[in-house]
Order: sequence, then C-alpha cells, then structure tokens
Amino acid sequence: MFKSWFALAILTSWAAMALIGPLLPLHPDSVDLQKIMAGPDAQAWLGYDDVGRPLLDRLISGARISFFVSILVVAISTVLGSLIGALAGYVGGAVDFVVSRVIDIFLAFPGILLVIALAGILGPGIDNVIIAMSSVGWVGFARLARAQTLSLKTRDHVQAARVLGTKPLTIVLRHILPLISAPLIVEATFGIASVVIAEAGLSFLGLGVQPPTASWGSMIRDGTAYMLVASHIVIVPGVALLLIVLSVNLLGDRLRDWLDVRTRLSAG
Amino acid sequence: MSNRRPVGRGVLSLLCLAAVLFTGCTRTQPAAIRFGLAYVPQKLDPRFSTDATSSRLIRLLYRQLVDFDRRQRPVAALASWARLSPLHYRFRLDPSRARFHDGRPLTAEDVKATYDSVLDPKLASPHRSSVALIREVRVIDQDTVDFMLSKPDPAFPGYLVIGIMPKHLLERGHDFSAAPVGSGPFRFHSWPQQGLLRLTRIKDRQLFEFVHITNANTRVLKLLRGEVDIIQNNLPYELTRYLESKKHVKVMHRNGSNFTYLSFNLRYEPLQDRRVRLAIAHAIDRAQIVRHMFGRKTRLAAAIFTPDHWAGDPQLRSYAYDPVKARALLRQAGYGPQRPLRLVYKTTNVPFRVRIATIIQYQLKQVGIQVSLRTYEWTTFYSDIKKGNFHLYSLSWVAVKSPDIFRYVYHSASIPQTGRQHASVGANRNAYRDTLVDRYIEQAEQTYDPAQRVRYYRLLHKRLLETLPVVPLWYEEHMAAVRRRVRGYRIAYDGNYDSLAAVTVRR
Amino acid sequence: MNFLLSRLASVLFVAFSVATLVFALMYLAGGDPVDYMLGEFAKAADRDALRARLGLDLPWYQQYLNFLRGVVVLDFGESFHYRKPVVTLIAQRLPATVELAVAGLLVAILIAVPLGTLAAIRRDTALDRGAMFFSLLGVSIPNFWLGPLLVLVFSLGLGWFPVSGRHGFASLVLPAITLGTALAAILSRMVRSSLLEVLNEDYIRVARAKGLHPFTVVTKHAMRNALLPVLTLLGLQLGALLGGAVITETVFSWPGIGKLTVDAILSRDYPVVQACVLLISITYVVVNLLTDLVYAWVDPRIRVGGR
Repeated sequence: MFKSWFALAILTSWAAMALIGPLLPLHPDSVDLQKIMAGPDAQAWLGYDDVGRPLLDRLISGARISFFVSILVVAISTVLGSLIGALAGYVGGAVDFVVSRVIDIFLAFPGILLVIALAGILGPGIDNVIIAMSSVGWVGFARLARAQTLSLKTRDHVQAARVLGTKPLTIVLRHILPLISAPLIVEATFGIASVVIAEAGLSFLGLGVQPPTASWGSMIRDGTAYMLVASHIVIVPGVALLLIVLSVNLLGDRLRDWLDVRTRLSAG
Repeated sequence: MSNRRPVGRGVLSLLCLAAVLFTGCTRTQPAAIRFGLAYVPQKLDPRFSTDATSSRLIRLLYRQLVDFDRRQRPVAALASWARLSPLHYRFRLDPSRARFHDGRPLTAEDVKATYDSVLDPKLASPHRSSVALIREVRVIDQDTVDFMLSKPDPAFPGYLVIGIMPKHLLERGHDFSAAPVGSGPFRFHSWPQQGLLRLTRIKDRQLFEFVHITNANTRVLKLLRGEVDIIQNNLPYELTRYLESKKHVKVMHRNGSNFTYLSFNLRYEPLQDRRVRLAIAHAIDRAQIVRHMFGRKTRLAAAIFTPDHWAGDPQLRSYAYDPVKARALLRQAGYGPQRPLRLVYKTTNVPFRVRIATIIQYQLKQVGIQVSLRTYEWTTFYSDIKKGNFHLYSLSWVAVKSPDIFRYVYHSASIPQTGRQHASVGANRNAYRDTLVDRYIEQAEQTYDPAQRVRYYRLLHKRLLETLPVVPLWYEEHMAAVRRRVRGYRIAYDGNYDSLAAVTVRR
Repeated sequence: MNFLLSRLASVLFVAFSVATLVFALMYLAGGDPVDYMLGEFAKAADRDALRARLGLDLPWYQQYLNFLRGVVVLDFGESFHYRKPVVTLIAQRLPATVELAVAGLLVAILIAVPLGTLAAIRRDTALDRGAMFFSLLGVSIPNFWLGPLLVLVFSLGLGWFPVSGRHGFASLVLPAITLGTALAAILSRMVRSSLLEVLNEDYIRVARAKGLHPFTVVTKHAMRNALLPVLTLLGLQLGALLGGAVITETVFSWPGIGKLTVDAILSRDYPVVQACVLLISITYVVVNLLTDLVYAWVDPRIRVGGR
C-alpha cells in the first residue's frame, strides 16, 4: 500500500529540496498583492498564499528548515543522550543516581509541553527552537542508553576492558555504544518524525521561525485563518508534512523489524 | 459474538445521542440578539478597563459625564459644563438622567465617589494619570458637581469619560467586573462563562448575548448560519468580501480614525538622517496595501488625527509611493548595493499585523533596505518599544480623541528616561526632538480660543510630516456585517456599540 | 508496601523538582507583566505599587519561597492577565480539559479496539495491512493539521460541527477526534500485538481445537487477557494525551487548561504558566504512578517475581 521505496523516494526528495533548494530559482518571499490567495498558475503550480507568495517555492524552502532542524536536533540529542545515559549506566553510583533523577524530572513533563514552555521563554527564532527541542530530546536517548548499558555491563568483554584499566569513557565509546547502537538508531529514526512535527508545531503556535521565513507549521497557521475562502494554503504544507512523517515512521518500523530479526538471528 | 454486541449498540446509541444533541443545538432559535466579539471583554469596571471591547460594552452599561461628537469635540453627555475659571469647572447633571440599575438615583455624590476612586493611588487605576490634574471633586448639590484642577488644560472636559458608578457600591468594594451596575441603557444580566456575556436592554427587556468567537472563519460562519446576528471588525478583507457575496447578510463600512504608523528610532544613527526616513516613506506603497488588504473605507493617513477631526487638516497629504526617489535618497545618504541599510522591524504576533509587516518588509527590500522582522507577543513587544529597543515598529493609536496626545507622543519632555526602567513619563518612544514642535504644543495648550488651537495643531501636523518621526500609514475602516433581519444597526464613528440601543429584529 | 513508599517518595521528589524548575524557568524568563496589566498610560508610582502588591519587587529567593508555600497551600497567586486567582481560573478551565481528554480517550478506544482486533484476527490479510497503515497514518498526522482539516471538511464544508469553541456536544466531536486519533493509532497496534501474543497461547489453541467460532474465541477468551496490558499502558498514554490537548485546545479555541497554558506562555502570565505546567506534570506523574501500581498488581509475572 505505502511501500518502502515510496517512502524512500519521499525522504530523498525531502533531502534534495533541502540541499539543492538554495540553488533553484525560487522566490519564496516574493510578495505580489495582486495574487493574494490566488489558485495555481504557470508561475506557481500550487497557488499563492495570503500575501501572494508562491506556495510551491515556500514549500521547498520550508523543507530546508524542517530537514536541518530535525537532523540537528536528533544528532545533538542522540549523541548527548547516549553518552550521558551510557556513562551513567556504566559508572553507576552517585552519578547514575543524579542522572536518573534528572531523567525522572524531565520525563515528568509531557515532552511537547516542556518544549513549548522553553521555546516560549527563549523567544521566537529557529536557533531557540533547536535549543528547546535538544534540551528535551536527549532524555529519551539517555534513558534507553542507560537501560541497555545496565544489561551489558557485566558482559565479559566489558569486564575484561575494565580489568585492563581502560577509562570509563573509552569503554563506553568502544565497547558499549557499538553494541547498543541498534535500538538507538531506531529511536533516532522515530525521533526525526517527532522533531519534524514539533518544529512545525512550534511554528504553528508562533514560537518557531520568524516571518518571512517559511516553515510548514507557520504556513499551516497562516492558512487556517483563510480556510473559508482559500483552503489550498492550509492543505499544501500539511500534505507535505504528513508525507514526510509517514515515510519516516514507515522506514522506522521497517528498520526496527530488520534490526530485531538481525539481533535475533545473531543471538540464535 | 455475544460480547461484541453491546459495544456496537453503545456506539450506535452514542451516535444517536450525538445526532439528537447536535440537531437540537442548531434548531434552537435564540430569542436574544447575538453579537459576535473577536475579543473577550477584560474588565467591565470602568476604572480598570483598557481594552477596546470592554470600553464599548462599558458605554452600554454606564454613562459618562462627557462624550465626543463626530469631529471628536467633547460634548455634554450625562452632564453639561461651564468653565468658571481655567482651574474650576462646574458640571450640571442631566435632569432627565436614568437611575442606576439597582434603582438608586444617580447624584453628584456618585460622580465624586467615582472620580475619587480612580484618583486613589492605591487603586492603581490605569486611567489615573489621564485625570491626575484633578485637584478636587466638590459636590455642590444633588445635581451639581465642581472639578478643581491643579493646572489649566483646554482639553480638560474631554478627560471625564469614566463611567459613573454608584457610591454605595464603591464604598462596599463591590466587584463591578463580576456584576457591573451603572445607569446606561443596558443592564447586566449574567456572565456564565468568559466567552458569553448577557445584557438586558432596559427599555424593552430585550436580551443581548455577546459571544466571544476568536476565529474569524467561525465568526463568519456563525453569522451566516444565524447563530449570531451582528459582527464588527477584526475580519480579514477576504472574509469581508466573502460575506458581501451572501444575500442574507448586509455588510457596512465606515471611516475609522485609528491611526496606524511606522515609527523610527531616532536614537539609531542611520535613522537620524531625514533622507533615510523619507526614502522609507516613499518606498511603501500604501495605496496598494490599502486596496488589497483593507476594506474600501480605509483611508491613507497623513497625521495622527483624521481630516474630519476638529484639529485635523483636510489639506494635508503624505508622501507618495516613489521607489525611484527612495533609491535616490538612499544613495545620497550613502547606502547602496555595496552598503545596504539594515534595519530590525518589530511587530506584534497578531497574524494580520504580521501579514502587513511582511508586505512592508518586501517593499522596503525592493529599494534595497534589508529589514529583518521580529514578531513578539504583546508584553514583550511593548516592553521593547518602551525601552527604545527597536529600529522600526508599527502600531496604531486607538480611540485617541484629545490633542493632549501631542505632548504625550511628540514633546521632547516626553522622551522616556533611559536607564530608569519604570520612570516612563511619556510615549515619545522614538526620542523625537524638535524645538518648533515643542513650541507649537505648548502654545496650543495655553489658548482657549478654538480657532487658535486649530491653527497650532495644523502647524504641528505639517511640521511632523516634514520632520517625519513616523511614517503615517492609514486609518483603518470599521466594518460590520449584520443579518438582514436585524434593523437599525449603525457603525459608530469610533466603532462603539451604542446603536444596539435602537436595534430591532424582524421575527 | 516498601515499593509503594519508595514510589511515593520519588513522586514527591519529582513534584518538588518540577516546581523548582518551573519557577526557575519563569524567573529567568524576565519581561515585565506590569506593563501588560496597567497599559499605556500608567505612572511610575502606580507601577511600583502594583509590583509591590504582586511581590515582584522581592529578591528571587523570597519569591521562590512564596511560590513553594503557594504550591503547598494551592495558592498560585493572581493571574497578571485576568487579574483573578490562578486557582479560580484553573477550576474554571479544568472541566473542559477533563471532558476533552475523556472524549479523546473514548474515541481512541472505540477506534483502536475493533481495529486492532480485526487486524489480529485477519492477520497478514489486506485488512490487517490496511488497519496498520491507518495506525501509521494516525501517529504521523500532526494534530495541528488534522484539526484544521476536519474543520475544513466537517464544519466549513458539510456544516455538521462548529469550527471552534465549547458549546454543547457537537462542538466536542472534532476536538475529540483530533486528540484521539494519535492515541487510537498507538492503541490499535498494542491491541493487535498483545492479542496476537495471547492467540498463540495453548489455551486458545485448545479452544480453537474444540471448534469454537473464531470470534467467540477472541472475544471470550483472548480479549480479556490481551486487554489487561493494553489498559494499563493506556494510563501511560494519558500523559501524551494531556500534551496533545495543549495543541488541540489551541486549534479549536477549546477553553481548557491547554489553551490557558499556551495563552499564558505567549502573554508571559507567569503565575498561570507555573500552575498549569505544574498541574499537567503532576497529573502525568501521578497517572504514571497509578499505572505502575496497577500494572504490578495485575501482571502475574511481576507479582510472582515480586514475591
């Protein structure tokens, strides 16, 4: 029904839009008052928005925002979270206690609520969005890495390294993280989906990018005001958002199944 | 199978319930006349209200001593006045005035109690500073009250616009916001939830419901479906046009007087150059923005007061759209492709304002000015503006009627003191200094001769347009849409809801 | 009992930390609410008076202590924006959120249980794949887009339901669907997988071998055992539901806690933000605690392991 190759194609075009978008002759910020909310024409295949800017051009430049924000946030969260979690799990004792309590506190908030509050406090702007999401995003990875590390800690090769006097950081980097990377990669894949949604969500609430920069979330928000007279403004960015998130989730599922099978096979 | 059925039946009956409740909802034809509000009224206590919606509702519930005519001159309302001396005014209450809604008569004591309460520093009323020149309120008899001033001010009677409240309730610390009691044509009925306020029109006990509907689409839909009868303002032009195509609805437009402007920070060196400010004024295609974004009664502005204001100037014209000239001016000032002018433009995050700002940003870009836009919610925006933390911002002066605004906004003594965060004495936020303007303001304040005052204010307008501390943009129109069965609704010159007192509905 | 006590202690610790964090965030945020309250024409003296009345002139540790004391006695002060006690505001808004959350939960269950069951019974058929695709769609569609989309079709297009606001049952439908969809998607997967697990157990095979109708097998024998983990995991999802309510309420102008929170964040109404964030988090923590307890009590493996 919704095949992996299709998902891959969508994600590839997402990346392509993000990477080569700046090279294309786009006019995402070009205002034309005559064209306010007009339908598609030769210059704008998807019609125009509420100040007469071409929607397709804005869609493509919005792809760049969502792509780079999600890559950045997931990268920061994964690296930070995995390191912190694995180290805490491996070292144990007071460090682990403190890290676990911090994780507990962060998990006491519904994630999106904390992100909204943080973004609201930091003020609008894409850099603040990245900070807000990363400072909440690492927690999930830390929890996962810690739990996985606890189950690996007593393995022979880890013990051997410890006896040899290897430093904890080196053990974590060399002997633990490679073994627990599979679930972390799966988590990171799904992380991309949630960050794409969260970024758009913040922009939807007006806490994300600043105008005239296009974000799919702010495009949806702008569109909702004129649904009665021009519904294409709200539909276009939403479809793009849905396709991306759907594809990421689908591939995440496949990846998880595949890694599951692989670990089971290697274990058996 | 047996376990499944109850679930299925449950769903079915839930759907039935939904259907019943739903159709039940739409069929109820309200006896009330319903008015759709874009904003919730914040306070129905005249001493505290600052938002436009509350002020308009307060006019229905309370009466004020002084009101304004359509040229915005102060006129007698609840009372007529005589100036006994520049520091002494005598007000005679209208002998045919209505009683308070609780049945007590309204007397001079109530007038005194209301103004004493506003003047009490402990109350921290936002209106206190506008009447702070009152030294004393003196009751002469039941129908007569004297206002003694600490300094002369020809605009004085125009400040007495606070709704009169009953003394006995003021003394008891009554919560007027929860249950307003005044002497206006409407009586408070109930306020069952934040978004639904009910008032009763006293003369015929007609019930009015003021329903808060934030979303403009919803407001339009509810009007079309007959769930509300009247809506006014806060509608994107596209939706107004959409309504104009519907036959059950009548759309009205009227000139407005709220002055929208683009302000320059004159502390910022590049903006101190008049050529730069002039270039910006020439770079904005106001006519096109107004044509595409606003209703047809929106007018281009040249000054804070409209041409029909008594202190306005019908001859005054602002700068025309002329991008070529704008570029030339910028070049003269030393800016060009190699050295573009970069400015930060702040605005509120209200979607419509952001839309306008985006257009202005684009138009300025066309003449080579790089503008970065910053949108903030009101508190942050406003605090930045007051701290002088901006290059450009746009805002409107809402419901400004009295010419004391000139001192407040343009006099050099009204520049907020930097460094002392809370010592704002005025709203000269762009730090505008002009000796000529200062002099005109002072001279106008010292004369009681209307013709002389008009002369000074026109000189003032002209000088302000020349020196350009702000680019005058436009006066937004008022629009209202009413269902055809509603008769007698008129948009007031300042957008108030007073004509609800005369509205009828054909059943 | 020890388990209970230690969980309680950790909940209290988390609650305290959350309160501290919330205070710190709001304190560091800065901004001046007095401007917002008094408006344009206020004088310096009036501002200072108000500042003193609100306790904003105190040093931070005093404000912090006042805040903690307030949390304990459920007094969060006065909203800067509404000028009402925060507790009153929350009490006014809470029913709407509870209503929406319950309705969303209901929608989720009404969709997820039949869908997950069908998918499990018809495993690996087009029906199963369709159901799972729907579930994937459900988790992938952001509610700030699903909401407007539903409005577009059912309110603007068909005119069945109101666009926004909270006026009667009809206005609950679209927000509840918007809120419930993501949960329905997750739940239906859980129902399917846990049902599949149970269907592989011996007693089900026996029941099948006896020639009982597949539906009877599923509904009478398998469902009961499969639903237990699903029900307990539902508790965990309630937190996500509360988070989702924040955006859903904003989309539909639903007058609940979520909308209150977003409005308060945007207008820097600190006392309201503090109280709302605290309320939502504590609810989340408490529900998680209850879920843990219920899970420990219900799941035989944990019970046996515990003894």
